[in-house]
Amino acid sequence: MTIAVLFVFSIFAAQLLRIQGFDSSAVAAQALEQRTEKVVIPALRGKITSSDGVVLASSRARETVVADPTAVCTYKQKSTKTCDPATSGVAVDLAAKALAPLLGRTADELRPRLGGSGRYQVLDRKVSPLTWRKIANLGIPGIYRDSAEAVPERVYPQGPNSASLVGFVTNDGAAGGGLESMMDTALKGTAGYSIFEKAPDGSKIPGGRQGGAPADDGQDVMLTVNSNIQWYAQNALAQQMAKMGAQSGTAVVMNAKTSKVLALASYPTFDPNDIASAKGSLVNKALNDVFEPGSTAKVMTVAAALEEKLVTPGQPVVIPNRMQRFDASFKDSHDHPTLYRTVAGTLAESSNIGTILIGETMPPKKLEEYFRKFGLGSRSGMGYPGESAGLLSSSSKWSGTQRSTVMFGQGLSVTAIQAASVFQTIANGGMRMTPSLIEGTTAENGTFTKAAEKPGTRVVSEDTAAKVNAMLEGVVSKEGTAPQAQIPGYRVAGKTGTADFYDARLKRYSGKTASFIGYAPADNPELVVAVILQRPSASIYGGTVAAPVFHDVMTYALQELKVPPTGTAAAPITLSVTPEEALSNPDTLRDKARHPAK
Amino acid sequence: MPHGAHPDRPLLSRWLRQDLGLLVGAAGTSVVGALLVWSATHETAGTAYLVRHLLNTAIGITLALGVARLGHHGLRLVAPWIYGLSLVGLVAVLTPLGTTINGSRSWIPVVAGFTVQPSEFAKLGLALVLAFVLADRWERRVAPSNRDVALGWLLAAVPVALIMLQPDLGSAVVLGALAFVVIAVAGAPRRWVVGIGVAAVGLVVAALTTPLLSDYQRDRLLAFADPSADPQGIGYQTRQVRLAIGSGGWGGQGFMEGRQTQGGFVPYQLNDFIFSVAGEELGYIGAAGLLVLLGFIVIRIFVVAGRSGDAFGRFLGAGVGTWLAFQVFQNVGMNLGVMPVTGLPLPFVSYGGSSMFASWLAVGVVNAAYAAAHRDRV
Repeated sequence: MTIAVLFVFSIFAAQLLRIQGFDSSAVAAQALEQRTEKVVIPALRGKITSSDGVVLASSRARETVVADPTAVCTYKQKSTKTCDPATSGVAVDLAAKALAPLLGRTADELRPRLGGSGRYQVLDRKVSPLTWRKIANLGIPGIYRDSAEAVPERVYPQGPNSASLVGFVTNDGAAGGGLESMMDTALKGTAGYSIFEKAPDGSKIPGGRQGGAPADDGQDVMLTVNSNIQWYAQNALAQQMAKMGAQSGTAVVMNAKTSKVLALASYPTFDPNDIASAKGSLVNKALNDVFEPGSTAKVMTVAAALEEKLVTPGQPVVIPNRMQRFDASFKDSHDHPTLYRTVAGTLAESSNIGTILIGETMPPKKLEEYFRKFGLGSRSGMGYPGESAGLLSSSSKWSGTQRSTVMFGQGLSVTAIQAASVFQTIANGGMRMTPSLIEGTTAENGTFTKAAEKPGTRVVSEDTAAKVNAMLEGVVSKEGTAPQAQIPGYRVAGKTGTADFYDARLKRYSGKTASFIGYAPADNPELVVAVILQRPSASIYGGTVAAPVFHDVMTYALQELKVPPTGTAAAPITLSVTPEEALSNPDTLRDKARHPAK
Repeated sequence: MPHGAHPDRPLLSRWLRQDLGLLVGAAGTSVVGALLVWSATHETAGTAYLVRHLLNTAIGITLALGVARLGHHGLRLVAPWIYGLSLVGLVAVLTPLGTTINGSRSWIPVVAGFTVQPSEFAKLGLALVLAFVLADRWERRVAPSNRDVALGWLLAAVPVALIMLQPDLGSAVVLGALAFVVIAVAGAPRRWVVGIGVAAVGLVVAALTTPLLSDYQRDRLLAFADPSADPQGIGYQTRQVRLAIGSGGWGGQGFMEGRQTQGGFVPYQLNDFIFSVAGEELGYIGAAGLLVLLGFIVIRIFVVAGRSGDAFGRFLGAGVGTWLAFQVFQNVGMNLGVMPVTGLPLPFVSYGGSSMFASWLAVGVVNAAYAAAHRDRV
């Protein structure tokens, strides 16, 4: 008997030796692998603030609360292990009533999920940490938070006001558009992870192996945008659009010297706090939509001719009512007898025919060169997602009539930013600065890194810029096309634009693009404001549709930035000449005139 | 007859009229068991199980000392009664008085959450009654007749059948083994011994090869060898137990430091798989040490029984020794993955009042026979 016992026990000892002695390391490794759990710690997305420190977007921790209906049904019941069909209805009802006030839903809404099928029902994805603690304290079996699904909530305190610029994030926390996408690398941070040994119920084993890396929260991004100007511009634009029955519109406010964008209004827009049911446009029309600029492009034509010394501001121009070029008979906005104007007067009164006569002093290739130097046909370089480069085909491909139309801004398209950038170049003495939206980023440790500044490029000389500047002041004068843009005490320069609107849906021209782009103070420019409205129905002219918005936004922005009036008066500028003067002057620009070769 | 007159025995043993080695071995094993139970449960229940295990041990020791005081003759007197009482318990468990835990109707709830498991006491009852019945013949120097052997097997068959109704295969097999050894030791004709042995082997073969058992039951029985046969149930348990014991290595991870144990990976670790706690936390040295302790108790019971002066003592010792040996064999075997998983506890070590009391009563009856033998001899 004893021998039998000893025999069996020695077999056991040998088996023990096999498991613990020889297979031990392999078995221990298997055991460790089974216990080890890696959990991702999401990084909190950085804030987006305006240059004046107003939060435009921020993130806050949120829990995803889920229910296991096979456990909820035992809430406050006798058996806490298994579902009793007789009492599970009561248990679900009790749980629903307890959870309803905490989740901000009615018990009726919760009941189907708590008592539903399967073992995983999402109750709410946006539960605050405090609310989660209250829920956990209820002790309802089968109510968990799913940390793998926890996505911090993105909040936009400014709502639709800056939505089209700031963009949005999708439900799973990924960048969805706008600056959120553009600055995603800086904003999103680096997720951390935690490694620990896990018991079968998911809890940590005390004293177990632990490790990991903390989450590196995203950087805060500071924009160049001024929240007040943005707010004002967005509202002014929205009001005027309603009044004018326009289809869409944008307003751009830029620093005239640095090209930093101070406001970028776009309408219609959306509410980024409720992206799932967002109506309207999710894109920023100032950067993503293109339009034919119309008369505002005349500034480039005149500036190019001046820079090439082919014309002078006082040079007379004879403007007939109609002028034939290839198969098109060009006309101005209104019928008129033959006019005798200066080059400056041509721009001030926005004559298409006069501009063609000025533009024809250059070969098309030269004109295209200037357009490109002013920034047309290429992206601004900000990296904004979906930004359009506009449409500017090579001059060698321009048709006969297109050679003339591009001079007054038809047959090419630009974005609002590009259009504003042209005026910034003139305002800044011919030096074009790259538009920028980002002031800098703040790392988690508080270090502020200024965004890299890009050097400007000279497009025209200071002298040319000064001459164009004087002409643009003439536009806002009583004789010009936009006296509505005048601001008492300030000298304002600008240009109206009224162009045919190419409707992509109809695939033809339909309606108009009304715009006004200008800057102030004209003698020491600080701000550029561009206002563009598409397909207004109440009126079509830039002077009446867009200039009032320009006036309001510019007035507000000057006050907001405390720009003092310069108190100087504009130098008198000659806009028209007598027919005699025009006809006697050998340099007069007129149809079919032979221009002296330079 | 004067007390303490035996010159070969240590003073304490003589005074106690007990085998000191057996008492110390069982007490030591119970304390080791208490520590292992504590380690397996402190994470979820603090010291509650430790305290109850120690309390059970104290009650068990008291019972053992009390039974030992009954003496040889007292024991013979109560033997049929204990057997009868255990049968009453086994019947009661099948009535609405019983309660079902983990699929077996093996427990009778008493007060305050305490339950009694009559099958544990049936082992003691059967050992006593078989010794009682067969010793009578032996002492008259008559070999057991076919009638005696048949009576012995009938006495065993009744509790075995009742236990199979619960069902509790493990306990039934313990009773069968116990009866087999006692009847063989009592000098039953060889044809009986061989016949029963062949029948048992045949039954096992039949169970595993014919549709006597359902596929599911067969899978459960064989899952110890191939965990994938029942990956959600027994197979999972077997795998977790193996991971725990294997993680222990030579020296173990340290008391209360075993990750598998503290993490609660091993199901029923405080009773069925208590051995895996020793394996993981105390390593090969600790687990083998525990085996040696248990082996010592079993062998000591056989030795003590062998020294008892009469057939009753020897048969009782053989029965009790077989019972504990088989249970250790079965329990450690399933922990090591060489035996099918059944719900048999490890004597003195597993948590559980009925098992602890029965194990200590086993020590008590062996000591009663021992004390009686020495009183008789001197």
